Amino acid sequence: MRNRVVITGAGVVSSLGDSSAGLQFSLCSGRRAIRPVELFNTAGLGCPLGGEIPAFDAQKYLGRRNLRPLDRTSRLVTSAAQLALNDSGWSESMRNQEEIGLVLGTMFCSVHTISQFDRRALEVGPAYASPMDFSNTVINAAAGQTAIMHNLRGINSTISTGITSGLQAIAYATEVIRSGRARAVLAGGADELCFESFYGFDRAGLLCHSDERTGDFPIPFDKRRNGFALGEGAALLMLEDAKFARERGARTLAEITGHGCGYDCSQGEDEEEAVEAIGLSIRRALNDAFIEPHEIDCLSASANGSYAGDRHEAKGVFAGLNGQTRKLPVTAIKSMLGETLGASGPMQAIALLETIRDGVLPGIKCLEEIEDDFALEMIGPENREIDVEAALINSAGFDGHCCSLVLARMP
Amino acid sequence: MKQRRVVVTGIGVVTPIGTGRERFWTNLLEGQCGIRTVQSFDTSAYNVHRGAEVHDFEIENYLSNLDAAHLGRASQFAIAAARLALADANVEIASLDPERAGVSMGTTSGEPREVERFDDLFIAKKLERVGPEFLALYPSHVIAAHIARELRFAGVNIMIPTACAAGNYAIAHAFDVLRAGRAELMLAGGSDSFSRITYTGFAQLGAIAPEVCQPFDRHRKGMIPGEGAGVLVLEPLASATRRGARIYAEVSGYGLSCDAHHMTAAHPNGDGAVRAMEQALAQSSITPQDINYISAHGTGTATNDRLETLAVKRLFGDAAYRVPMSSIKSMLGHTMGAASAIEAAVCALAVYHDRIPPTINLREPDPECDLDYVPNCAREHTVRVAMNNAYAFGGNNASLILKKAQTI
Repeated sequence: MRNRVVITGAGVVSSLGDSSAGLQFSLCSGRRAIRPVELFNTAGLGCPLGGEIPAFDAQKYLGRRNLRPLDRTSRLVTSAAQLALNDSGWSESMRNQEEIGLVLGTMFCSVHTISQFDRRALEVGPAYASPMDFSNTVINAAAGQTAIMHNLRGINSTISTGITSGLQAIAYATEVIRSGRARAVLAGGADELCFESFYGFDRAGLLCHSDERTGDFPIPFDKRRNGFALGEGAALLMLEDAKFARERGARTLAEITGHGCGYDCSQGEDEEEAVEAIGLSIRRALNDAFIEPHEIDCLSASANGSYAGDRHEAKGVFAGLNGQTRKLPVTAIKSMLGETLGASGPMQAIALLETIRDGVLPGIKCLEEIEDDFALEMIGPENREIDVEAALINSAGFDGHCCSLVLARMP
Repeated sequence: MKQRRVVVTGIGVVTPIGTGRERFWTNLLEGQCGIRTVQSFDTSAYNVHRGAEVHDFEIENYLSNLDAAHLGRASQFAIAAARLALADANVEIASLDPERAGVSMGTTSGEPREVERFDDLFIAKKLERVGPEFLALYPSHVIAAHIARELRFAGVNIMIPTACAAGNYAIAHAFDVLRAGRAELMLAGGSDSFSRITYTGFAQLGAIAPEVCQPFDRHRKGMIPGEGAGVLVLEPLASATRRGARIYAEVSGYGLSCDAHHMTAAHPNGDGAVRAMEQALAQSSITPQDINYISAHGTGTATNDRLETLAVKRLFGDAAYRVPMSSIKSMLGHTMGAASAIEAAVCALAVYHDRIPPTINLREPDPECDLDYVPNCAREHTVRVAMNNAYAFGGNNASLILKKAQTI
């Protein structure tokens, strides 16, 4: 018998707000975070746009703590963790009694920190490279720094599976609680906007470019889509064993009833294999949740405006839900937040918690002409009022990883 | 429902003392040392020059589908170790259901050489030479992805970059995946390539030894960065038995904890390390007295070896003095994210062969390190149960337990 896993709180630091309600409000108001990047110089790059968090200041969330050892990714994660701990009612003294875990999904942690450390050693000599910066060059640096700041002594793991890292981290944490290894685990993901990763995506030809037809923005599932915008942020959920949460009198927002994953060995090159991997991931999540396709009330899609990726996802969802997609309300919040990589899946989850609560599914900004063969009809720029018992979150990378999660409203 | 039991049926390693299980194990028991002068890059600006690099490696022997030119060095090591492990397990890839075959890998740095190339060109003001290959080769998840693509494994695919304990994390995760019935076969381990960034960092921490790695010795002067990969084939006991596979050992439990104390220094009382060992023992339903061998993290730094010894003594009490505990890092250097995966392979081999590799270069005992570290010579010793300890930046602690499949 496996333990049931519930969500007792959320923390998010995003370009569209630093609370679940704030994020949902922005998404439902059709606000967009995509604008010219200011964090670094985009001259010479094909795409100057990103979903940057304007004037991000971790001090706002962490008060007078010493933030000097933390890079941007670690500041994002420690801030989101503080918010999630507050939201779920885990005070400092309670944290001394319980070994809380942390599972963080991140694609890069900070390739900027790594690159800066290396370039300094190259330019002025290895004797001038900072040992403190070195400890931030490991990919689990943000998870380690967050554990130190918030005294999280339980399981501490970092998951990297590209865009699906954050959702995969939630799935991993779900198993940790189901098996009884921990009773409370913070799980989610983060990635920062930085020159080095931005350059990589730009050179790979994956980022959107503005033209007369699209305007300046990525439009998931639209015929005119031509790539995605990179975003940033951190999003964490507090997951707890349901019985434990009830006993401590915690408020519960939703239950995680199933997860699944798949891998496309063609890494996006073969449409059939890509579609099959997403379908497999969704079927596995539904089986794990013991529900049928028709019981899914809405989908938060991974679609970000990428030409091939959105097509694979639309067809993969069709395959995974046994063709039952025409009546399925669908949102794709990356149209407004950009592709926040490791944070993206957890941000989809946090927005869905609000949809479960307030019954509003955000529309997809600017979506006008969906592709004819996508078999999605309940989709468009307008918000939809829906009653959600069970929701599906899908996350799919451009290079093969797929992960799906089922959230259910508390009875 | 009874949990599925999980066993190790294949071992693949790429190490500074040899590639492939047999060669590695022979060299390890002979106490061979893989530490040489660094060749990957010019160390003249550093005050240390020694490293444990892999020299005898030919990736072409291991590729059927991918092109070596499109693979970073850590991915190359990982694919080679994966192929060697499958061959060692006598698994026909064509006989597997691809959707039920998965990969779980750990790393410290992913593919650091790709970012080093980026940095070289950035400084030379030739960044335009960096093209789409950067995104395809660099992010750490490509290591697990490249294994799956080469072998056409479409099941669970995950990268767990928890630094120098990552191999244990990845094996522990594969163990959970198999027990939960989410796969029928998992390749699990770790991989890292020799890296200028890593070398610079450890040099700046003053952690690199000038000549040799001598864990637990009174005059130990530090660790030696290394590189390599270790991959295990894990499968349910029932299917391994059905296909008549050789079973090296059973994975019986693990423990993971976090010090939440310091990014690079272990907790002064060894708290996190003790909690990880306790969990691993509890899950395996055994006590410290049941452990016959400990594969130490044993980096050779003053602090690690002292605190690791302290943690074992705190948990084991008097029994600590009766458990052989050796560090193969004395021979391989510290292969980073691969280290605990290679060490898990060593535990499986120790359990299978009843032999324990030595800690070499251990001449003068340290009064604070007074356990049985199997100094300088391999030993014949019945190993029913082995414990693999690994510690990492971020305060991550991971203990894994392997035992003879038929016992307990």
